[in-house]
Amino acid sequence: MKKKVLAILLSAVTVLSMIGCGNEAPAAAPEAPAQEEQAVAEEEAPQSIGSSVEGELSVTIWDEGQRPGLQQIVDDWSAESGIKATIQVVDWNNYWTLLEAGATGGELPDVFWMHSNVAQKYMENDQLLDLTDMIAASDKTDLNNYYEGIVKLYQLDGRQYAVPKDIDTIALWYNKTIFDEMGVPYPDDTWTWKDFAENAKKLTNDEHWGYAIAPGNNQEGYYNTIYSYGGYVISDDKKKSGMDDPKTIEAIKLFTDMIADGSCPDLATVSETAPNELLQAGKTAMCISGSWMLAGYRDNEYTAANCDVAVLPYTNDPSDRVSIYNGLGWAAAANTKNPEAAWSLIEYLTSKEGQLKQAELGVTMSAYIGTSDAWVNSVPAFNLNGHMDMLDAKLVFRPYSRDTTVWEDMMIEKLQDAWTGDKPVDEVCMDIAAEMNADLAEE
Amino acid sequence: MNKTIRNTIIYIVLTLVSITMLVPFIWMFLTAFKTTAETMQVDPFVIVPKIWQTQNFGNVIRAMDFVRLYINTLSMVALRILFAVVTATMSGYAFARLEFKGKKVMFAVVLLQMMIPVQIFIIPQYIMVSKLHLTNSIMGLVFPGVVSAFGTFLLRQAYMQLPKDIEEAARLDGCSIPQTFFFIMAPLTKSAMVALGIFTAVFAYKDLMWPMIVCPDNRATTLASALAKMNGQYQQKYPELMMAALISCVPMIVIYIIFQKQFIEGIATSGGKL
Amino acid sequence: MGKKLTSRQKSELIWGWIFIIPTMLGLFVLNIYPMIDTIKQSFYKTGDFGKGNKFVGLANYQKVLGDSEIWQSLWNTVKYAIVEVPISIVIALLLAVLLNKKLKGRDTFRTIFFLPMVVAPAAIAMVWKWLYNSNFGLINNVFHVRVNWISDPKIAIYSIAAIGIWSVIGYNMVLFLAGLQEVPRDYYEAASLDGANGWHQLVNITIPLISPTIFFVLVTRIIGAMQVFDLIYMMIDLNNPAWKKTQSLVFLFYKYSFEQSKKGYGATVVVVLLLVILVLTVVQLIGQKKWVHYD
Repeated sequence: MKKKVLAILLSAVTVLSMIGCGNEAPAAAPEAPAQEEQAVAEEEAPQSIGSSVEGELSVTIWDEGQRPGLQQIVDDWSAESGIKATIQVVDWNNYWTLLEAGATGGELPDVFWMHSNVAQKYMENDQLLDLTDMIAASDKTDLNNYYEGIVKLYQLDGRQYAVPKDIDTIALWYNKTIFDEMGVPYPDDTWTWKDFAENAKKLTNDEHWGYAIAPGNNQEGYYNTIYSYGGYVISDDKKKSGMDDPKTIEAIKLFTDMIADGSCPDLATVSETAPNELLQAGKTAMCISGSWMLAGYRDNEYTAANCDVAVLPYTNDPSDRVSIYNGLGWAAAANTKNPEAAWSLIEYLTSKEGQLKQAELGVTMSAYIGTSDAWVNSVPAFNLNGHMDMLDAKLVFRPYSRDTTVWEDMMIEKLQDAWTGDKPVDEVCMDIAAEMNADLAEE
Repeated sequence: MNKTIRNTIIYIVLTLVSITMLVPFIWMFLTAFKTTAETMQVDPFVIVPKIWQTQNFGNVIRAMDFVRLYINTLSMVALRILFAVVTATMSGYAFARLEFKGKKVMFAVVLLQMMIPVQIFIIPQYIMVSKLHLTNSIMGLVFPGVVSAFGTFLLRQAYMQLPKDIEEAARLDGCSIPQTFFFIMAPLTKSAMVALGIFTAVFAYKDLMWPMIVCPDNRATTLASALAKMNGQYQQKYPELMMAALISCVPMIVIYIIFQKQFIEGIATSGGKL
Repeated sequence: MGKKLTSRQKSELIWGWIFIIPTMLGLFVLNIYPMIDTIKQSFYKTGDFGKGNKFVGLANYQKVLGDSEIWQSLWNTVKYAIVEVPISIVIALLLAVLLNKKLKGRDTFRTIFFLPMVVAPAAIAMVWKWLYNSNFGLINNVFHVRVNWISDPKIAIYSIAAIGIWSVIGYNMVLFLAGLQEVPRDYYEAASLDGANGWHQLVNITIPLISPTIFFVLVTRIIGAMQVFDLIYMMIDLNNPAWKKTQSLVFLFYKYSFEQSKKGYGATVVVVLLLVILVLTVVQLIGQKKWVHYD
């Protein structure tokens, strides 16, 4: 009996779905974009429940941690402008897929974050709204107020495609408890990279290492040292690799020596447990981290109680203390239906007022010079001057070219042989330089 | 062999496998109630949390609009199951039991679809959805799952496994093709339909990439993608991640328990000789 | 064809197409059209965002043939599949047969074995990273060994395959259970009257009877294993010494297409993968005549 009921039910559903074939929208309708011109398809499209609702801006970012604070600032803007804007979050990996798909299909969000990895590609292909004239006409925005490297990053042929949102700095995080236990004074602005290596040795025992390198994250590691030593990663014209520069090689050797003498864990260990996790577990005395790690360290009861942060060491003179920095930009879609509103929002977010709020709310350090002081007090557990003071160090913008990830991935892969000691550092670096030069020639 | 001994061996085997399967879950459960510091501590390991951090549960629940996420997720899952089971049952039957021109080519297309890595579909399908203005909507979530090559293949195999004489009998009784299908054959593949329903539910439920991209708005997205966003790019709150993973497991386990009870015991027909 | 169709044949033709039309329409729009597009891309040096593609003929394919990274990835993928597929099928089949009997606690066991299927991938990765961690992991500490499960290039891919087995046993088991339900009960009754023992029943009755299901599991699992990506992506970082020995083909494709915007070359990797899977599937389709019993 039960079976019969089921059969009838099933057949009813089947018949219904067969009758419904024609208006089974998803199966039938998508043929339009495949075969017809895109414009035609757009006209035929049914009622919108999509992201570009008339009169409402769609804003897309990749960090949920920043959303609540930013939404507050956006709401302040909405109160002034009367235009609603909702921030949507897509995680880092999928964010780029979404933008790629959006750019290919002409459906980018109205306002979104740009990053140094891909900015060039989006600008060259006219995907971003040209903000040059609006900036010129604005009384709130003056590009001289922002850190130069970030401004330049979002420039192409003298046109500006995004306004700097934030800046990050790299600093030396350390475990006070381990320092006390081993009788080593806390790091300060007198440390050189040599002191750093020597103290790391003193801080090492069976329980913990002195320092842990992040081989996959150059900005939180050897890039700082390379530039501090006077070496370079890529030439200013982005045509030549600096990985074969003797000073670059020397800087890399600082770390390979530390791995060799055991004051830094071997590659297998750090590839399984990231250095920041080792710091949070109390397994390393020092770790070089970007300011973006702050929230993570703050929310871990152990690091909040035991750790603090100091400036990075220098090489010969405090003037060669280097922080590799990077910064996001606020950009708008070239084909946004509401360019005035999009610009108005960007202008607000990057104005002195907006940037001050961003720092006050503890979202990040701001790209507007001199607005980040409030950020220092955002987490009482740490003396964030370690990060703030790095803004006064020699700021070197994160090395990039048009297709940064191509040679960066290659470099990280090849450097493995140097960290493990399987190949001499010089040989590995020469090899990287050769391949990187070939990649750059192809760009 | 003595029945009691045999049963004992069976239970020992099942229990051992169960333990292997469960170790990661027990750890997930314990982690969900730890402090972040405890999850990071390695020497010695914190196995059982010193103080059960029950507020982790509240933190996760409060971080998002659970009711809405459940409605979105369940609507998507229900619609995908409906679409997949209906279309796959029909096509599976046709591929298994009917002879028609073009069948082999079309079935090759079905198999071909399964051989292509799903990642290549994402961008074109996203463009279709955004052209249809279905982003941030339930239909947008359902979109790639309206048909199922996997289900078609699964149901075809299920029909192939059924004895032919059932159908012969129906035909001799004067049943037309749709009648034979609806009333005789389709009910016999209920278990396969249930299996397809389970998989459609699980795969739709676990999928992060599609809902993340198509419904970036937290109000329109699914449970899994909202939970995935909770963890920032650099901020791994392990206890909350595990708590979230546990919370999101529960409805799937319930669905599975309900569904698998539908596995009916073998059909009581006298099938022909092999 | 010249011959006139009988009314039965005509009716099968019409109903056959009516039954498959919804599925085929969906597949063509959602999947086949993007696939053709991808194949087309493999003959181009692609520009950004689908614009400015340059036709390069077979250049991408020539590059693939000489690219040792691709061959290494293919080999990694095959190693993964060889471990994951047979082991998970054998375990799941045995479990399904046991759990098809009337057994106390049957539903509980069925649920436990299915559990890994419902866990979020990020949680799976985190749990297993902890289990495998060479310094602090559970496995090394419980068994007092010092094995670099996921950073030793020689064994990392097998460690990942073990996670694969753990997570697909539930999938295989559900399918086998479903298949077992469609076996007419009287076969078993006849067999037990004949006094056939458990093993004998399994090999001579159960396996042949559910061979269409086994075939389905085999085909879909080989395809699934050849497309392994998530697990590796989450477990292995670029700085892992085992990186080169664990990258799968889909991983490479993802790297080229999504991370390095070399869509054309990424598409070529997909076509290579497609061809490999195609060959494997065709071999199985031909081979099935030897062991799969359709009634």
